[in-house]
Amino acid sequence: MSNLLDSLTTELRRGTLTLAVLSQLRTPQYGYSLVQLLKESGITIDQSTLYPLLRRLEKQELVSSSWDTSESRPRKYYVLSDYGLEIFLKLKEDWMSISKELYTILREDEENDVD
Amino acid sequence: MMLIDIYIQEVTRRLPEKMRSDIALELRSTIEDMLPGEYSEEDVKEVLNTLGNPAVLASGYKDQPMHLIGPRYFDVYVSLLKMILPIAAVISLITVISQNVFGYSGDEAILSIVLHIIGEGIWATIDVGIQVFFWLTLTFVIIERVDKNKDEQPITLNTGKWTADELKNIPYIPKKKAISKFEIFGGLMWTAIWATVYFNANQLVGVYHGTENGLKFVMPALNQEVLLQYLPIIVIIIGIEIAMSLYKLLKAQWTKRMAIFNAIHELIVTVVFIMIITNSKLMNQQFISYMSDLFSKENFNNWLIVSAICIFIISAAINVYDGFKRARVHK
Repeated sequence: MSNLLDSLTTELRRGTLTLAVLSQLRTPQYGYSLVQLLKESGITIDQSTLYPLLRRLEKQELVSSSWDTSESRPRKYYVLSDYGLEIFLKLKEDWMSISKELYTILREDEENDVD
Repeated sequence: MMLIDIYIQEVTRRLPEKMRSDIALELRSTIEDMLPGEYSEEDVKEVLNTLGNPAVLASGYKDQPMHLIGPRYFDVYVSLLKMILPIAAVISLITVISQNVFGYSGDEAILSIVLHIIGEGIWATIDVGIQVFFWLTLTFVIIERVDKNKDEQPITLNTGKWTADELKNIPYIPKKKAISKFEIFGGLMWTAIWATVYFNANQLVGVYHGTENGLKFVMPALNQEVLLQYLPIIVIIIGIEIAMSLYKLLKAQWTKRMAIFNAIHELIVTVVFIMIITNSKLMNQQFISYMSDLFSKENFNNWLIVSAICIFIISAAINVYDGFKRARVHK
């Protein structure tokens, strides 16, 4: 059962990950700083998922990237493009309504349980 | 340091050349970000453990799927395989049988020919099966990788997105009306068997005596030369039967037209059969007297001919009736 639960949870989280990452990229971030930022908000992300995800977002032109070599360690920074911002705002709206609907439905369920 | 290098190598070697340097650089800076200022090998191992299996990480970077044939093409692939495999197998089997039958020189023993056909038939079927499977799979693996359409919708045999209109193209086949693959295969097999018997009647049909070395063929019942006079019409009938089987395979259900064709076919076969069997020169004179002695009955051959004709006509009539009955089924 716990295996099934795990895979269902992973599936549930997978879709929200893109949204979470996009939300943090309004200011430029590099890989590790993004991990830290998400962790502060309580979102743990599998790192082997995150780095490929960033590449994919770049390929889809939602984010743009640039290498910063001014510091001792070169870092690749990612930031939302204009197009990415537009998509992010729409996606956010969608998510808000989805979570509201889901909240309502789960809430009803809970009340029924109490009765 | 060594472990990090090896890890990065393990990831990048799985990636296309042009992505490698950039990803290697980013990966190294990320790993170093994750490590404390002064680190031990244990720290490195811990960091690499969080990054996980290099193969999984690399597959995340790649656009190419980690499967041969994905959900988008799997349905079409299986449908095509199921359709092509039996056809290819039957065709190869028929080829083997006809090659052996028509190429028969008359020198070899029939039993060894039969064994040869069985052996070669099994081999040819396996061979063609593997060939079909391989080439079809290869084709789909290539399509899977070439198609850049990111649509996850599975495509159907009509190679488009499914709509309810597609249902109109699929005939609804009631169970009684349906023609099974087994029926078609059985029909082809029957054609092959009687054709083999026809061409080798003087070595197959006749009187056998049980001896210590098994059955021994002592005398043929029929004159092969007389039989072979009917060769053109027999070849035409073989052609008709193969065509009928392919037609059945295509339609997959009985139709009125098919029942009519079936009736015509049965009529031709019955007429030809009666023509051949009533030919007074057909039966070996030696065989006739042998049989008459055996059953101590005069004109035994006449009795044999009449009953054979009766059986033939009855079975043909049943077959024709069955065809029309199944064509009429509506639900």
